Amino acid sequence: MNTEPGTGNSATADDGDELDPAQAAAILAQATRQAKREFDHPAPWRLVVIAFVVLLAYGAIWLSVRGQHPYGGPSAWAMVVTFALIAVLIAVSVSSARRATSGITGPSVRQRRTVAAAIVVVYIAVYVFAGALKHLGVSPGIVSGVYPAVGLLIIVGAAGAGLAAAKENWLDLGTALAIVGAGAICAYAGPVGVWLATGISLFVIVSARAGVLAWRHRA
Amino acid sequence: MHSEPLDPVIHAPARLRIVATLATLPDGDELSFTRLQEILALTPGNLITHLRKLEDAGYVSTEKTGNGTAGKTTVALTSEGRKALDGYTRALRGLLDGL
Repeated sequence: MNTEPGTGNSATADDGDELDPAQAAAILAQATRQAKREFDHPAPWRLVVIAFVVLLAYGAIWLSVRGQHPYGGPSAWAMVVTFALIAVLIAVSVSSARRATSGITGPSVRQRRTVAAAIVVVYIAVYVFAGALKHLGVSPGIVSGVYPAVGLLIIVGAAGAGLAAAKENWLDLGTALAIVGAGAICAYAGPVGVWLATGISLFVIVSARAGVLAWRHRA
Repeated sequence: MHSEPLDPVIHAPARLRIVATLATLPDGDELSFTRLQEILALTPGNLITHLRKLEDAGYVSTEKTGNGTAGKTTVALTSEGRKALDGYTRALRGLLDGL
């Protein structure tokens, strides 16, 4: 059950007299890494799943729009696939968050719920705004192409960057800024290419984040 | 070279792991006794003994809510506990640099 020296069932045996500084430093580093592995979410392997799901979702839309002249927007089958993949994404994220925050109570949990609610409002506002663009006669290349592919990422990414900067969470800040930057650059790929370019960019960014987390959690 | 002494309350493997685990949570957050026990793989009796030592030193605070099977105990690192861990880490670094 227990592999750490001196952490057995006898508390009296667990005094620090026999513990040299090098051993103490090793225990401290190992315990910190293990705790981060337990509390960080999503875990690296879940992030890799998310990266693939995002690539598949954007890839499905790109397959449905490539070769369209004039551009008409994603087909019904691509939207069904995308929404099914989004459902998988939400399920993976929720189960990951539940596991990581199990047994934790306090301000950070309340803060996380508030942030999640704010992001839902931002998502809805982004799509309501897209409806307004369509109503105003903006071309389908923008309303059903560039805007939904990258507009959402830039807006939600910018909000995430602000939150991460306020909390001095550099990994989250780097991820959010990479998403905003990738979104801005991918917009130049046009209404068809934007789906593939964004899908690949997000895959790379999320995989890189998984790599950084795995490196931090290394045993 | 003069180094700070290592805090004897923290300088024990199990207590070091308890404090390090609680320190990774944001300030003010609490962890359930059950989850802490699961992470550290300690028996309830052993964990209680070490938590009592840390609580006596003012490094952790425990709170019990409810009774019987519905009861839940949560544990949190106090600000003194966080400071003590910072001091311990500094002292450890000083000792290791001096080697």
